[in-house]
Amino acid sequence: MMKWLGNVLVSAGEGGVYGERTLEGYRVWDPYRSKLAALYTLGGGVELTPEMRVLYLGAANGTTVSHVADYVETVYAVEFAPRPMQDLLEVARRRRNIVPIMADASRPEEYAPFMEAVDLLYQDVAQPNQVEIAERNLPFLKPGGHLILMLKTRSVDVRRDPAEVLAGARAGLERYLDVVDVRWLDPYHHDHAAIVCTLRE
Amino acid sequence: MLQRYWFGDVDEEGCRPAGTDPAALAERATTLRTGMDSFVPIDWETARDCGAVRTREEYVGLLRSVCTALARKKIAQSYQGRDVELLQMVRMLDELDNVINLLQERAAEWYQVTNPSFSRKYRSLPAKKMLGIIRKGARGGLSDVADEIDRLAGTRSRLMRAVSARADEVMPNTSALIGGLVAARLLSRAGGLPTLAKMPGSTIQVIGSERALFSHLRGGTPPPKHGIIFQHRRVHNAPRPVRGRVARVLAAKLAIAARLDYYRGEAVPEFLKDAQARIDEAGVEA
Repeated sequence: MMKWLGNVLVSAGEGGVYGERTLEGYRVWDPYRSKLAALYTLGGGVELTPEMRVLYLGAANGTTVSHVADYVETVYAVEFAPRPMQDLLEVARRRRNIVPIMADASRPEEYAPFMEAVDLLYQDVAQPNQVEIAERNLPFLKPGGHLILMLKTRSVDVRRDPAEVLAGARAGLERYLDVVDVRWLDPYHHDHAAIVCTLRE
Repeated sequence: MLQRYWFGDVDEEGCRPAGTDPAALAERATTLRTGMDSFVPIDWETARDCGAVRTREEYVGLLRSVCTALARKKIAQSYQGRDVELLQMVRMLDELDNVINLLQERAAEWYQVTNPSFSRKYRSLPAKKMLGIIRKGARGGLSDVADEIDRLAGTRSRLMRAVSARADEVMPNTSALIGGLVAARLLSRAGGLPTLAKMPGSTIQVIGSERALFSHLRGGTPPPKHGIIFQHRRVHNAPRPVRGRVARVLAAKLAIAARLDYYRGEAVPEFLKDAQARIDEAGVEA
């Protein structure tokens, strides 16, 4: 259900969130800025649908969050750092389906009292233990739901070969999930890989 | 099994709603402790049956107000620390240095073009003196720029004193060992006093020499001996053969000092005396 104008990914919603371009009234979702947009542009990802509920870990300034919110029913946006959180709150004020949560994604017990089960878990955090963080958040995912993990291999270990880091992460995730798709985000983002998984029923 | 959710408590016997006032709900939410093993995700219909909300829209709306209130509180808390503003102050100071240097160099180049016989060679003209010459000799746009640079330089020295004073206050032990300015720069690179206080001495030793460090880790170049702590006279004045040792000992003591600053928040004379002696000792060539 992703909206394309030619080969440009767009989303429908109130514009002017971060100075994004608009095309025929739609907001352009730039693959060079957003890793999720890069994943869709490269032909991967999970289709976003209007009834979806999403848990978004590492929401940062709310740039990508705003596009996700254009497509789905509710986004739970988790961010830890105060400065980006200020921006995220402003985005959430104008988009009524974003629930802004200021918490540490590696401590899901902090925000569990606010969480319902979600169809999609999207994670984009610059931490060495990214796979572990995803695992800890699996209790929020519906059986059959999807995980999209944006693996920043340089945050895991700068000294190791990115391909090796990816293989390690994949092996870790396969303990609980079925890995559906793995791809590098070149040429949009270097040393970043997207891992798409499904939670076993 | 009892589940404590943001809108109320739910167990086999039913549900006890906690009201609909966002502020009160936010207050209550900070006290909730959840174990992930027994956690069951919320079914929003439970909140409806509980009487907390009537529709899905109301559910999300109320939840958003609660979470927003909580986030605002947490942001305010994290900005409260005295170190947070110091961070911005020292970054502005370093940026001012950069800008003033660039402007001075450019103004000097401009001045030389208007004075074909002028040269800086053999005259040992520091930037400040050079600026004086330009202000006297130049006219029009260039003299305007020179005046402006002079004003900026004044702003910079006032800010420098403020940074130093604030660093003495926020990190008394660290400042006593390497001076307020370098202490503040360490803080800025670390990202805050809590982070600096958790760093090992070996990290503090090489903060600011990331390029050399990563080139060392990646492939065999010699490791850096010091990062920004080099700016302190104890390190850069130390004789070459012992410079690494001085940097290492100083960094180890800085790690302790940062912890004292963060957890105790006051100068500890006994520690400082010992530390100073130990660092001086490291600087003596065997």
